[in-house]
Amino acid sequence: MIDLKNIVVRFGDFEALHHINVDVKEGEFFTFLGPSGCGKTTTLRTITGFIEPVEGVVSMQGNDITHVPIEKRNIGIVFQSYALFPTMTVKDNIAFGLKIKKMKKEEIEQKVKDIARKVDMTDEQLAKAVSQLSGGQQQRVAIARALVTEPAIICMDEPLSNLDAKLRVNLRNELKKMQREFGITTIYVTHDQEEALTLSDRIAVFNKGYIEQIGTPNEVYNHSATEFVANFIGDINKLQGEIVSLMKLPEDKVHYIRLERIAVKADNGQDIINDGQGISVKGVIQSQEYYGLFIKYTIETAGQTLKVVEKNDGINIYEPGDHVVLRIDPKDIMSY
Amino acid sequence: MQASIGGKQKFNLGKLWGIFGGVLFVYLFLGFMVIPCFNTLTSVFRETDAAGNPDPFAVIRFFFAGKMPMFLWNSIRLAICLVVTVNVVGISIVLLTEYFDIKGAKILRLGYMTTLIYSGVALVTGYQFLYDQNGLMTKWLAEFFPRMNKQWFTGFNAVLFTMTFACTSNHALFLRNAIRGIDYNTVEAARNLGARPFKVLLRVVMPTLLPTLFSLTVMTFITGLCAMSAPTLLGYNSINPEIVRLAGSSVADESFPQARAALLSIILAMCTIALLLTLNHYENKGHYLSVSKTKAKLVKQKIQNPVANVLAHIYAYVLFLIYMTPVVMIIIFSFQNWGNVRNKVLDVSNWTLSNYFGNQDYIYQNWKGKEMVSKGAISGVFGNEKTLGGIRLSFIMSAIAAALACVIVVIAVNYIFKHKKKKRGKLVEACLLFPWLLPTILICYSFRTFFNGNVFYVFGQNLYMKENVRILIVLAYMVVKLPFAVRMIKAAFYAIDDELEDAARNLGASQVVTFLRVKLPIVLPSVLAVFALNFNALFSEYDMGATFKKAEGTTYAMVIQSMCEDEGRNNVNMNASGRRCASTVFIMIISGLILYLVYGVGARDLGERLAIREKRRKCIEKIKGKLGIAHAAAEEMPKEEQETAA
Repeated sequence: MIDLKNIVVRFGDFEALHHINVDVKEGEFFTFLGPSGCGKTTTLRTITGFIEPVEGVVSMQGNDITHVPIEKRNIGIVFQSYALFPTMTVKDNIAFGLKIKKMKKEEIEQKVKDIARKVDMTDEQLAKAVSQLSGGQQQRVAIARALVTEPAIICMDEPLSNLDAKLRVNLRNELKKMQREFGITTIYVTHDQEEALTLSDRIAVFNKGYIEQIGTPNEVYNHSATEFVANFIGDINKLQGEIVSLMKLPEDKVHYIRLERIAVKADNGQDIINDGQGISVKGVIQSQEYYGLFIKYTIETAGQTLKVVEKNDGINIYEPGDHVVLRIDPKDIMSY
Repeated sequence: MQASIGGKQKFNLGKLWGIFGGVLFVYLFLGFMVIPCFNTLTSVFRETDAAGNPDPFAVIRFFFAGKMPMFLWNSIRLAICLVVTVNVVGISIVLLTEYFDIKGAKILRLGYMTTLIYSGVALVTGYQFLYDQNGLMTKWLAEFFPRMNKQWFTGFNAVLFTMTFACTSNHALFLRNAIRGIDYNTVEAARNLGARPFKVLLRVVMPTLLPTLFSLTVMTFITGLCAMSAPTLLGYNSINPEIVRLAGSSVADESFPQARAALLSIILAMCTIALLLTLNHYENKGHYLSVSKTKAKLVKQKIQNPVANVLAHIYAYVLFLIYMTPVVMIIIFSFQNWGNVRNKVLDVSNWTLSNYFGNQDYIYQNWKGKEMVSKGAISGVFGNEKTLGGIRLSFIMSAIAAALACVIVVIAVNYIFKHKKKKRGKLVEACLLFPWLLPTILICYSFRTFFNGNVFYVFGQNLYMKENVRILIVLAYMVVKLPFAVRMIKAAFYAIDDELEDAARNLGASQVVTFLRVKLPIVLPSVLAVFALNFNALFSEYDMGATFKKAEGTTYAMVIQSMCEDEGRNNVNMNASGRRCASTVFIMIISGLILYLVYGVGARDLGERLAIREKRRKCIEKIKGKLGIAHAAAEEMPKEEQETAA
């Protein structure tokens, strides 16, 4: 559907993207994930045509669109700020692209009504000014405006970043539902790993203008390809010293384990063991963070501090100072 | 190779327009800003001695030998004194209405803000009406103090008094905003740490106002230095009236008058530039920025000491009276007949509209006792051809100049934003701000002298000749108003999110369509506000009209000023003073209306406008519903009852 081959973008002497290769499949929800300044938005703007690469080819449905002007690419965009025109009503905002295409008035009317219905907007809301809508409603208008021109793909640049946490979670679900309903190929930019993991079919993790890994949420989370990805996605423990030697892990590498992969049990007096299927080590609870659904412990063990997440079963809750045993399975360790 | 924004650059119609616009801009900048002013600068050094030999320093020698330093000193003295008095009154009115808990603050604020709709020559003549030797207040004061000097309202004292109360508009607007921006938590914190209220005002509140106060001080100083209407009308020898006098003088009367006028203009310009550079340097050093994440609204402070509280109230209401008395008196007397206005006697049983719409003949007896008729000698603002002509001319010239300034600035600012990181963007902005460095009088004087001849780049025309002077005035008006328009409209462009332009382009709009349908509607309220404010200032402006001083270019303010000069002489213009009062009321109405449209109606966004429309619709429906019910009920009524109800 969208194919980026060897894309290089430079701003003066600064190379923002170094030979980027991405292939987004039809109907896919594809996310560009990474920290600020990593090149994810630059890649999106290269696809949409706001930035022209100095090297490489952008293709859409097999056609080279590298030098096609923005307005002729047939790509819908939902901007970070939604970029709704404040001097127009909701209806005029949605109809803007259709009017530019010089469609007939009746046709515009019909298309606006259809898309408004699909994104759950009432006639009353259509007559309002965008400033009279809530954040969630504004997002729907932005999506409707991007979709009404029937683009081949839709690009979203951190559309949830301006919203509060609760609304963000609600809209995230709606966004996914809408994408499924419309079946439209979607490229989504975010720096929020949770958003990326919950929404995406596939994720490209960006770092300093390179793509570190492309994969499904499960692949990037559980089988992170690089140390950067392992650290960037979710919370993680770096294993050091005694544990590394106990588990006989190669010392020329760094080893990581996710918090939820470590099991905690009350200390039953058993010694430190390596039974071939993992190790059990003794530790002391340093602190406890109560999240309701789960509890996060900071545990002092084998000369290092590990963070562990345990499901809150209401029974096995440990207090600071409690002695516990940690169980680590070597198959959960990611080494780089 | 570098990444470029957008698609491939092509040589198209847009580029042609760009070249045309660039050439036009250079033509306007060089032709109507740089060359005329440069001509004024060089004219100082182009004088010759009696033998006809070049004597480049003749004017400068003359400057030090003659009275000219006196004019300069008078202007500086006025500026220095004004800085003190305007700041005292300006800070007082803001603290009294915004910081301290004074009873009737809302009404007081209205009074203090009257200078927004009542300024310039109208205000000066209003003060004259009250305080000159026959003025109402002078008469009243003379009853209490019979030995007082009835001619106290002339010269320096009169100018200082008038300008002190005329120049607090900026304090009323900007200092008020600054004080409203104070985080009340800082005041509470200071009180909590043991500071007494006066200490809080001095050590916490005032320091945050200092940047605004410094800007206001510089602007007041420049206003004092460049004062025109008050010194002219109240008789004070400062620079600007002298420049105008010299510009109209000839070598037959005195030595190199034009070159002296030019030198005075240049001295004024140098002072202005030095002050603006100081201001700029200070602004660049940074401000006291509030670091509050959640600002608390300022709560008015009660003055705890009862004596101080009473004194503060008395002070507030005395100031209110000084501001309001001329306004009220002018309004009242605009409805009195010509005899009462001339004698400054209020007759509450006799009101008239003749100062507005009158066109009556004046019947008198000549020295032989024969009855004579002076046609139309008692005429109102809208019945007097000369006044109407002034209104018409000022209206047209101000509207054209204000509109031109807006159009040029909107296009230029759009260009500046497109090229904000490039040198050409900064250059265009600097060119548009250039007139800010020069006093208005220098620009007008330069126009008057330079275009009073056949200039090749205006098609060999003499723009100071006959009706051409109107073009010259429009151009001067426009040039002078450009910097203000740039500052305001640029601020409006900052409000446009870059993503809006991207969104419009993504939806298929061309750059022109994006500008016209997305960006322009966003900045339009600000553009209209700038248009209205510039129009407002130009419609009643006096300084520039007086500098050009040409019969074909007699503006409204000049008509007002000259109206009373021939009052009653040869039995014409019998109600000139009354007409002047009515004119002032007319200006106040126009200014008030414009301010309402700009800050009341124009400041509403689409949401607010739609909400008001919806409210209005519901209201109409409600009324219709009630009428419908009444109608239905009426139909059911017996005929007799219907008649009674009707």
